[in-house]
Amino acid sequence: MIVLDNVRKWYGTTPVLNGCSARIAAGETTVICGPSGSGKSTLLRCINALESIQQGSISVDGVEVTAPKTDLCALRARVGMVFQSFELFPHLSVIENLALAQIKVLRRARTAARDRALALLDRVGLAAHAEKYPLQLSGGQQQRVAIARALAMDPRYMLFDEPTSALDPEMVGEVLAVMRQLAMDGMTMVIVTHEMEFARQVAHRMIFMDQGQITADCGKQAFFDPAQQSERIRAFLGGMAQRRITP
Amino acid sequence: MNYDWSWRFLFGPSLTGEGSYVVMLMHGFGWTILISLTAWLIALAFGIALGVARTLPRGVLRRFATLYVHLFRNTPLLVQLFLWYFVLPEWLPKAWGDTLKSMNLVLNQVLTVLLCLSLYTAAKVAEHVRAGIASLPAGQYRAAQALGFGVIASYRHVVLPQAFRIALPPLTSELMNVFKNSAVAMTIGLMELTGTSRQVSEFSGHPFEAFAFATLGYMLIALVAARVMRVIEARSRISGATQT
Repeated sequence: MIVLDNVRKWYGTTPVLNGCSARIAAGETTVICGPSGSGKSTLLRCINALESIQQGSISVDGVEVTAPKTDLCALRARVGMVFQSFELFPHLSVIENLALAQIKVLRRARTAARDRALALLDRVGLAAHAEKYPLQLSGGQQQRVAIARALAMDPRYMLFDEPTSALDPEMVGEVLAVMRQLAMDGMTMVIVTHEMEFARQVAHRMIFMDQGQITADCGKQAFFDPAQQSERIRAFLGGMAQRRITP
Repeated sequence: MNYDWSWRFLFGPSLTGEGSYVVMLMHGFGWTILISLTAWLIALAFGIALGVARTLPRGVLRRFATLYVHLFRNTPLLVQLFLWYFVLPEWLPKAWGDTLKSMNLVLNQVLTVLLCLSLYTAAKVAEHVRAGIASLPAGQYRAAQALGFGVIASYRHVVLPQAFRIALPPLTSELMNVFKNSAVAMTIGLMELTGTSRQVSEFSGHPFEAFAFATLGYMLIALVAARVMRVIEARSRISGATQT
C-alpha cells in the first residue's frame, strides 16, 4: 500500500503540492487527472523520491520514503516508472535496456536477466526487436519497451507519467492495450493521463487534482456520474471531450 | 628575396655534434609526441573526474572543480608554465626546492611540462565533459534513478556513455591542441619539435626548411589524431540516431 499523508512541496515560494493525502491499495488501478500544472506528475515523482517533499510523509509498503535511512535504490527497484518521453537508453540495444538494471541493481545472472527480458518483450509484442536500438523504433514501440523495462524489475507498483502524451495518435492504442492487460493481470498502477476514455475502462479509482490539491478521490462510477460531479470536474471532462472532437 | 632553398643540409653533420640535423629534428618530434600523449592521458583521466564533479549537486567536489576550471582555463598556458618552472621551486620548502633545482635538467623540464600541460588540458577536457553531460535530457538520469541505480551507477552506465559520444568532436580538437600547446616547452629549454627547429634554423642558416619541417610535423600529427578520433566516433555512433 502507498500512503500519502498531507504532502506539501514548494518550488522556491511557489506551492506545487498543498497537502495531498491518499491511500493506494495493492491491486488497484488509480488514475490521476486534472489540468496542466496541477501537480499530478510532481506527486507521482514524489512516490519514488525522484522529487523531494518539504512536509508530510509518503510510505510504500510501510517504508518511509522521506526517512534519511531509507535505501532509495531498493525502494525505486520495487516501484516501476514509465515516463512521458520514454527515456530508453539510446546507446543500449532494446534487450540491454531491459537487462541492465536487472544485472546491476538486482544482481541477477546475465542469462536469467536476458531470459526475463525476452519473456517481457514477447508480452508487449516486441520480441522480434530485441537486438534493435531504441531510436530505430517508433514512439509506440519505444514506450512499450519502456513498460517492459520497468516490469523487468518485478515491481510491486507501476507509476505512469502521461505515458501516451508524446505519442502520435495512432500509436496511443498499442500502449494503452499493454497497460490494460497489466491492469487485468492485477498490477497495482498509478497513472497520470489525459486519456479519459481509457480511465473509464480500466480505473478503479479516480483522483482529480487542481492547484496542488486533491479535490476528488473516488471510485470511477462516482467520478464519471454527472449527478455526483463537482462543477470543476464537469468543466474539466467537458474540456477533454471537446479536445477529442476538434481536429 | 634571395633565399637558397636546400633540403640537403638536413642530412649534413650538425654543428652541435649531435649527428645530422634531421636526427635532431626527429628527436624533437619524438619529444613532442611523448610529452603530448602522456599529458593527454593524464588530462583525460583528471578532466573526466573534474567534469563529472562539476555536474554533481552542490558539495565540496563541485566547488573545487569549478574553481579549478576557472583558474586553469582562464590564465595563459605560458604563464602557468613559468609559475611551475620558476616560481614553484621558490615556494616549496627549501629542501624540496633544492632537490628540484639539482635534479637532472631534462628530467626536471619534462616533468614540469607534463605537470603544466596536463593540468591545463584537464580543465579544457572537464568543460567538454561537463557540456556533454549537461546536454543530455534530464530524464535520462531520472530514468536511471527510477530503475534503482545509485549516483555512481547512473553515471557509469547511462550518463557518461552518452556524454562521451557528445563530447567526442570537441575532444578531438582538444587532442590536436595538446600537440600544438606542447610547443611552450621550448621556453624553458626542452628541445621538442619547435625548439629543435629553431636550433637547426640558427645553426644551419636554413630557417625556412627547418620551420617547414616543424610545420609538416605538426600537420602530420593532427592528421593522424583526427583520423583516429574519427574511427572512434564512427565505432561509437548510436544506431538509429540522426547523423549530424
